[in-house]
Amino acid sequence: MATRATSKKKAVVTKKAAPTTGALTLPTLHESTTSSGLKVLAAERGPLPLVAARLVIRAGSATDPADKHGLADFTARLLRRGTERMSADEIDETIEFVGASFSVGSSEDVLSLFVTTPAEHFPAMLSMLGQLVREPSFPEREVELARERALAGFSNDLDDPAVIADRAFTRALWGKHPYGHDIGGSTAHVKTFTRDDLVRFHRERVGPRVSLLTVVGAVSPQQVADEAEKAFAGWEGGPEAPVRLPSADKVTTGRILLVDKPDQTQTQVRIGGPGFRVGHPDYFPSTTMNNALGGGFTSRLVNEVRVERGLTYGIHSYFDMMNAGGVFGISTFTQTDRTREMLDVTLGEVAKVRQEGITAAELKKAQRYLAGLYPLRTETNESVASVISDIRVHGLGDDWVEKFRDRLMAVKQKQTVEVAAKYLFAQPPLIVLLGRASEVKKQLKGLGTVKVVPASDYE
Amino acid sequence: MPKAPAKPAERTADPVLQSLFDVQEATLPNGLRVRLLANHQTPVVSLYTFFQVGSRNERPGITGISHLFEHMMFNGAKKYGPKKFDMVLESNGGRSNAYTSTDMTVYYEDFASDALEKVLDLESDRMRSLRINDDALASERQVVMEERRVRVDNDITGIMDEELGTLVWKAHPYRWPVIGWMKDIENITRQDCEQYFRTYYAPNNAVLYIVGDIDPKQTLALVRRYYGDIPKGPRPEPVLNAEPEQKGERRAEVRHPAQSPALMIAYRGPAARDQETLLLDVIQYGLAKGEGSRLVKKLVYETQLAVSVAVDWGWRIDPGIILFYLELKPDSDPRKVEEALYAELARVAEEGLTERELQKAKNNLRADHLRELATNSGRGHAMGHYEALLGSWRDGLTLPSVYAAATNEQVKAVAAKTFAPERRSVVTLIPTAGAPADASADGKDVE
Repeated sequence: MATRATSKKKAVVTKKAAPTTGALTLPTLHESTTSSGLKVLAAERGPLPLVAARLVIRAGSATDPADKHGLADFTARLLRRGTERMSADEIDETIEFVGASFSVGSSEDVLSLFVTTPAEHFPAMLSMLGQLVREPSFPEREVELARERALAGFSNDLDDPAVIADRAFTRALWGKHPYGHDIGGSTAHVKTFTRDDLVRFHRERVGPRVSLLTVVGAVSPQQVADEAEKAFAGWEGGPEAPVRLPSADKVTTGRILLVDKPDQTQTQVRIGGPGFRVGHPDYFPSTTMNNALGGGFTSRLVNEVRVERGLTYGIHSYFDMMNAGGVFGISTFTQTDRTREMLDVTLGEVAKVRQEGITAAELKKAQRYLAGLYPLRTETNESVASVISDIRVHGLGDDWVEKFRDRLMAVKQKQTVEVAAKYLFAQPPLIVLLGRASEVKKQLKGLGTVKVVPASDYE
Repeated sequence: MPKAPAKPAERTADPVLQSLFDVQEATLPNGLRVRLLANHQTPVVSLYTFFQVGSRNERPGITGISHLFEHMMFNGAKKYGPKKFDMVLESNGGRSNAYTSTDMTVYYEDFASDALEKVLDLESDRMRSLRINDDALASERQVVMEERRVRVDNDITGIMDEELGTLVWKAHPYRWPVIGWMKDIENITRQDCEQYFRTYYAPNNAVLYIVGDIDPKQTLALVRRYYGDIPKGPRPEPVLNAEPEQKGERRAEVRHPAQSPALMIAYRGPAARDQETLLLDVIQYGLAKGEGSRLVKKLVYETQLAVSVAVDWGWRIDPGIILFYLELKPDSDPRKVEEALYAELARVAEEGLTERELQKAKNNLRADHLRELATNSGRGHAMGHYEALLGSWRDGLTLPSVYAAATNEQVKAVAAKTFAPERRSVVTLIPTAGAPADASADGKDVE
């Protein structure tokens, strides 16, 4: 949406309270299992008369067939375009009339169906959710329309430099691994989707034994269990266990890819190397170390690149963690003629931390910052439902939230030095640039071989 | 011309909202207004500072100063010098950000409850004694220019939006973008910023909202301690609205490399305080909220003329615009899409919404209103937003009753008045191939 408000900085992801503030606990969890084998978690929480539910299905984009990239996400989006009993219009009307909302979130590892509803309509909305996953009909006409809209979307993406840069980065980083394609797929693959593809994906991949329902809000756990039984009774299909992915501990390094988009006055910059999977023991030392390097507004990267040199409006470094592996990456942009300066300054700052680690003061600041803000992740029904499902899906342990601050505060400086040496581009990283190649290429002398490709390769 | 809508229903506060807003209020002798709301669900607090200044307070030559100045607020004051603000805040378990709009500049912090006093110290320091140094201004200017490149020069909706502003407004400061013209950003001086600070950043032009894990009584005592000695400033000059009446449809084209055409269509709307504002909320929801809404169903699903349609009705102090943004398909004819949209708008003016659509719009307005209030930050921001635009945060509590009482007769009257062709401005994006003929390089004006 076009907006005229401009904001100073990007939101930064954050964490929980220093020892002096109140304890942080999640509302009590109640577990049940429906007769169809779906696990259900419920937590009662007020004061607003609202309920949030998240159904996680372990069938993310990494389970897309090799020649059908984007199928998982596409199938999930089509669930609400028709069931055996209702047309798309009837479904929309049922959900939207009462002020509820349904949305789909797809990641590499899971599909998530999110529902938020006024509490008095919770039974009807859960029943609707059950119907969508149990008996979608994937009407031929709806599949065709959605395919056309997706293709128009891919074409419009070419006008969004950040999207194309991310897409080029993902592909270059992971290559042939199931993580190496966009969650939404590509023109070449989506073009081939047929109704049969969706029916097959739904039958083989979507089912109660690889799913988890979490409900948080103004509803009693007993009512959640009862309504879930009604809504999901008779749900069949899907595998017995989640698909096992090949290990993802290798990513492409030591290459420079320059994506040419001649109408740009800026260069989008993405830099990456190997990271680690969700739940890895390196998480706490790495997240504190990264906060000092490129996580907050007082990080070294923001200070050197934005504050001292005015090279950019935004830069951050991050660990992207998935089930089978992860990435350490940096994302930023700068004006075309300062691309080289941006790369030199950024890689120089990373090298300093790789060689020397962070200071004791930086560690302490990062710990207090991350600990102080952690409770914000448990402020809404939606975020509580998300954190609970993540804990279960990734096996983080039910004491994850409660212990988070202690684990963070227990990080020692020596550990941050170790993870810095391990993850901060010990090998030369992959560099992906998107911008005016004729101007950018001549700035890259001495950095290694540069491959130039047109932006249209990423439709 | 249609008649004005019938006399509005009595505004009464909604009981659920009333129970959420047990607010303590105070005004300090220097004019600073304070609103306090306790919520002990999680050990965190959100603090908002609303200053009543935005791009509508600017003039040509210094467009964008409200926003550039907002950046300078993070660059050092007397007690906490350059780089200290974020550093001290983060070290105490807090984060901060700000935004500037046409009508207001808003600063906020989220933090662990034990950092309250430190945050008040930091915030009051910069309200009392901001220090603008030349180096920081030079660097921040570059950052804002880069921000302008990413939001406007390299963003098609940004380019179209800028074109639309100059089309809709001839005299009012809403004409220029909040981020300002590139040449002005380059030329704003330290003296301009200091003048701006003295004029608009006095306590009598600000309101504090503190929401979360606090003791209101103790918190008010802390606010008095930290802010009490900041001197009152002059009353800012009111903004004149010299906008002449629009006498007919206005059109502009943007030719730019793109895959598909797009449309931005704006109609002049009322000011936020006007009763018609809430009816336009109802109309906006009826037309475009959800997959089953009229415009989405008609333009995206049935006729497939558009890939997406969004309606933005942003409340403003002075009369604003209700904006339709349509992304089209590569082979769509924008004129055909316009015709289809106008036919739908005419239908609302003629027949209104169906009873079911009207009820659905009301249900959704209520649900979204509740969702907005789920966090401390959401509650603080909502209070500030309503106070800045309506004159009192309490007016926010009465919205549900006004929505609930809206009738189809009122909907018809407001739609007929608002969607008149002579109140319309249209910007069409016409895709070209390759690099733009006159890429707005640095140092060239973008108009």
